[in-house]
Amino acid sequence: MKDTLGVIVPLIGDDTNLNPLLGHRTIGTLPFGGRYRLIDFSLSNMVNSGVVKVGVIGTVRYSSLIDHLGTGKEWLLSRKTNDLSILTGSVNRKIEGDYRINMLDFILNKPFFEKTTKDKVIIAASNIVTTFDFNLPAQVFNKNDADIVMIYRAESPSATTLNTDVFLTTEGHRVTAIDYANDKKTSKKYADMMIVSKDTLLKLIKTSEKSEEYDLMRILMDNVDSLKIYGYELEGYFNRVFDINHYYNANMDLLDYDVLKELFLTEAPVYTKIKDNHPTRYGLNSHIEDCIVGSGGYIDGEINHSIAFREVEIEEGSKISNSIMMQKCHIGKNVTLDHVIFDKEVTVRDNTSLIGTVEEPIILSKATTI
Amino acid sequence: MKTETVAMLLAGGQGSRLGSLTFNNAKPAVLFGGKYRIIDFPLSNAMNSEIDTVGVLTQYRPYVLNSYISDGRAWGLDKPGYGVSILPPYEGRKGARWYAGTADAIAQNIDFIDRYDPEYVLILSGDHIYQMDYSKLIDYHKKKKAQLTIAVMEVPWDDASRFGLVEVNDDMRIIGFQEKPENPKSNLASMGIYVFNWKILREELLADMEDDNSKHDFGMNIIPTMHAQDMRIFAYPFSGYWRDVGTIQSYFDANMDLLDDSVDFNINDKNLPFFSNNFSRSPQFIGSGAKVTDSLICDGCVVFGTIEHSILSQDIFIDKNVVLKNCIVHTGAVIEDGAVLENCIVGSYAKVPADARYIASESDNPDEIHVLNS
Repeated sequence: MKDTLGVIVPLIGDDTNLNPLLGHRTIGTLPFGGRYRLIDFSLSNMVNSGVVKVGVIGTVRYSSLIDHLGTGKEWLLSRKTNDLSILTGSVNRKIEGDYRINMLDFILNKPFFEKTTKDKVIIAASNIVTTFDFNLPAQVFNKNDADIVMIYRAESPSATTLNTDVFLTTEGHRVTAIDYANDKKTSKKYADMMIVSKDTLLKLIKTSEKSEEYDLMRILMDNVDSLKIYGYELEGYFNRVFDINHYYNANMDLLDYDVLKELFLTEAPVYTKIKDNHPTRYGLNSHIEDCIVGSGGYIDGEINHSIAFREVEIEEGSKISNSIMMQKCHIGKNVTLDHVIFDKEVTVRDNTSLIGTVEEPIILSKATTI
Repeated sequence: MKTETVAMLLAGGQGSRLGSLTFNNAKPAVLFGGKYRIIDFPLSNAMNSEIDTVGVLTQYRPYVLNSYISDGRAWGLDKPGYGVSILPPYEGRKGARWYAGTADAIAQNIDFIDRYDPEYVLILSGDHIYQMDYSKLIDYHKKKKAQLTIAVMEVPWDDASRFGLVEVNDDMRIIGFQEKPENPKSNLASMGIYVFNWKILREELLADMEDDNSKHDFGMNIIPTMHAQDMRIFAYPFSGYWRDVGTIQSYFDANMDLLDDSVDFNINDKNLPFFSNNFSRSPQFIGSGAKVTDSLICDGCVVFGTIEHSILSQDIFIDKNVVLKNCIVHTGAVIEDGAVLENCIVGSYAKVPADARYIASESDNPDEIHVLNS
């Protein structure tokens, strides 16, 4: 994949329903799975597939993105031959519409795409949870001399399908129609990853500039006959985090050991920023089952079916279940928590009880004391 | 280039008393406290003391140590031109020699130290677990107008005959030495940490190289020679946690100290933190049916069994029905269904088969600790 450039894009609108958890961060830097940020998945997938140059398109709140990614060292992207660029996002040029990939993100960075020596470009969303080898669709791309390969999953539209979800119609591997969910329904749902040739991408940028149609999906729909678009089915675990429910469920999915193994315990690790934490200390009163725990923690309470990020402290006598606690949360003595999502640095005083539900977990924002 | 203090870290020893833990790597590279290696302690202390130049003297099986130290970035020792340098024995115009002793290792690297034109050279060893701000030691050395300062600590009188001891006057000036004496005259033990004025040490080393009868050792040769010349040698009293982890028993005990809240040593000190060089790993997963109490566990571990008063390094798999009690498990080990282990050290990537039983009684006898290897 040395001939391929990776680009990670924000999906327009996906952050709106996550606002209570975003605070000062962008959707890609939302903490996930005990020690990761969502963007780690797309970035690691690219690097593990052999991509050596990646551009990340920023949105509002760049600082959390830059703070997390740094020079890209942890994703092996800070070497003589490998590098990471943070690209300008189109956030200050609001456009009308309700869609996913904003072509202004590409138009604003046109020189970056024009000058690249790579032949192909992977475009992947910053908020998907999956491990995926891009070499597989790249084979389809090369074999068919394609312009675009779109990755999809077998999923029929359901009650949670959004109007902006995209479905593909295929004949063989060839994509013959692309539709938003409200137009037409098939069972091949676009999985927010595609490979496009550099020449095709530059043409799409030109088309968008000329026509002032900034919705990439709409442009593809309009040109599906003239472009050689192929589909590739992703069969493994996939989740796209675009609301609190998906965030909660995607985290809880990791407690299924098969999912955990597929995502994390492989030869292709999910890379993230490394912290110098001591090992997690389990106390004499600890009672823990079915949990993911980050490093640097202190667990002396009862914790079940939950995710405790790095440096979480849980004192004696507390009972926690079905909950997510981000970095540096401190849970005092004899606290009862069920179905809560705590942002970083939440402090819960002794003898407090907070009980949420699957549908409506209790959310506390960063540095809250209760 | 100019820096006030160059630290020289003696890391070439085999550590044969650690048995199979050092078959494949040098003692300073042995895992400690889960994710750390013994060398993390002097290197982190150096970083916390704002020492920017460290030479690491390697000899015995250096590969793991070399790759672990890498460019020193993990300890902030990657300042261009300074930072950490790995110094193995080398071939020169007069031929090639192994390091014949601790002093010889430094003597063969006089050029390295001269490059930095330092006032002081701090000699450290790679087999001690402790936390020390070396800048205080160096300030003390300056204040005493010493030519050599030796860090010492009080040990119980009953234990004193196991150590190299120093006798001091009221001003803490050293007036005598005793090496593991039957009848100790003092209970101040040398910690093997020395500050020398470089100009003086340089001359002593050159003279020592010419002496065919010398064992080229700091404790046996250089320091007694300086003492015989009535040089200003002072003892720097250190009070705090310090352990030599040169034997299986002391290594085991020092690890277990991390689980003992009454021991005055905090591996999680935020003011003088300990650093280590680690890869990205998955978070730890404690599965259904697991029971974990009074233990330290690192990233990448998957636990389905019972863990009691034990320390787990990284990427360890503990299957269901396993019972671990008072154990130290090193990176990558796999302990299969139903195995029961007590008072064991399980080496890196060791595989303990299903239903295996290794139970040793709690005892002061080091032979009682099982060391299991791959």
